[in-house]
Amino acid sequence: MAEQQATNGKPFDPMESWRQMRDTYLETWAKAMIDAVNTDAYARATGAMLDTYLSVSSPFRETIEKAMLQALQQLSMPSRADVLSLAERFTNVEMRLDDMDAKLDRIERALTKAPIARPARRPVGKGVK
Amino acid sequence: MADVCSVVDPFAGMENKLMSFTKAVTTKIKIDQTPRQLIWALNKTKLYRYCPVLPEEKRHRLPLLLVFALMSRPSILDLRPGHSYAEWMLNHGYDLYLLDWGIPGPEDKNLKFDDYVLDYLTRAVRKLKAFTGVEEFSMLGWCIGAILASAYAALRPDDGLRNLILLTAPLDFSHKETTFAKWTDEKNFNVDKVLDAFGNMPGEMMDAGARMLKPVDNYLLNYMRLWDMLDNPEAVQSWQAMNTWVTDTIPLAGGAFRQLVVDLFRNDLLLKGEWFLRGERVDVSRIKANLLTIIAESDHITPPCMSKAIMDHVSSKDKELFLIRSGHIGLMAGSSGPKVTWPHMDNWLAPRSK
Repeated sequence: MAEQQATNGKPFDPMESWRQMRDTYLETWAKAMIDAVNTDAYARATGAMLDTYLSVSSPFRETIEKAMLQALQQLSMPSRADVLSLAERFTNVEMRLDDMDAKLDRIERALTKAPIARPARRPVGKGVK
Repeated sequence: MADVCSVVDPFAGMENKLMSFTKAVTTKIKIDQTPRQLIWALNKTKLYRYCPVLPEEKRHRLPLLLVFALMSRPSILDLRPGHSYAEWMLNHGYDLYLLDWGIPGPEDKNLKFDDYVLDYLTRAVRKLKAFTGVEEFSMLGWCIGAILASAYAALRPDDGLRNLILLTAPLDFSHKETTFAKWTDEKNFNVDKVLDAFGNMPGEMMDAGARMLKPVDNYLLNYMRLWDMLDNPEAVQSWQAMNTWVTDTIPLAGGAFRQLVVDLFRNDLLLKGEWFLRGERVDVSRIKANLLTIIAESDHITPPCMSKAIMDHVSSKDKELFLIRSGHIGLMAGSSGPKVTWPHMDNWLAPRSK
């Protein structure tokens, strides 16, 4: 047991040296990969992959979109474009409401800055003809 | 017999550890818990006020508006109780407001920086001033939020912005050797084709792009670190909170993404003074607010070279550049947040918030 005690008093861990090797290896690998993804060749390769994917999937996407549009029309349901246009109109209405809110804030501020001289109170029922 | 088994059987410990690991990786924990009140909303954008914890006489007079990036959730500013920037700032007497851009839907695919700066941010500032009754305010912009904050400060220099804090601000796009610059180069990346297919830029694609900047760290070492610290519940909770935020990806409005790639990464229009938002030139030399720029030395998303040049362009008389040994997210959400970044920000902002 005594042999298993390290000089600093900590118990001997047979995996420690393995862990250190692992960490050194991974650190080197991590640095190499950071350099690799920063090359023009990597940028070109990923760009080409993405481009290919988009080109290949485009006809399928268009077919599905057309089929969905026809199906929704047959079912008298609003299409995606209809819903999106409605959402845009809602945002437009919100903008107008916000404009009104801004105007009200300005009016409120103007009123609080310049208090209106109130007329003296008259007794109820008197002076009204 | 049981004792012999527990010593001899190495699989029992491994099984428990694997179960704890799987649970930690797959469980989302509650983040974003500091109480707040909604004071304004427009489309998906919301302006919140964090409920103050100090009485009014102990608070700083100027409100602080937090403007986060468009492509991530702002919950990173309020990660978990005891380790939350929002909570910390409230405890230090700030009247804190958060502009949450929300999650753009397909109907928002045409939103551009023009809209975010001149409609949403400008209107939110108007509401902030009306709500607080204070004509001046401070603003903190982080990452893409710093582009928005800088553009606002340049376009509306007389709108009451007294203090501007830029965190890891990507403003100087003249450095073509950065990884993102190479990836988004027109030879390699067809931005129109991507946006024709998706409308908005999918969050998963941007997340994968950010992770691929440090692939071994993000896809392997991150999980190995978790494995090594499974016996430490506090560390596991911290890892889970960060993982919950990282995996909460959101898309970026198509129009804004196109501008980010074409106007900024490819053509560096901002610091050249040739960037126009709704016909108005974004001239950063018009920025006159007190400026604190915070840069993370090990930032792989916004390398320090992208953030430094702004200091030479602005007209601010009171300006400071502060470097922190940390990463893009770590400077706020890591251990350097409460130890270095937040106290420095407080020391800088407090005397300027009277």
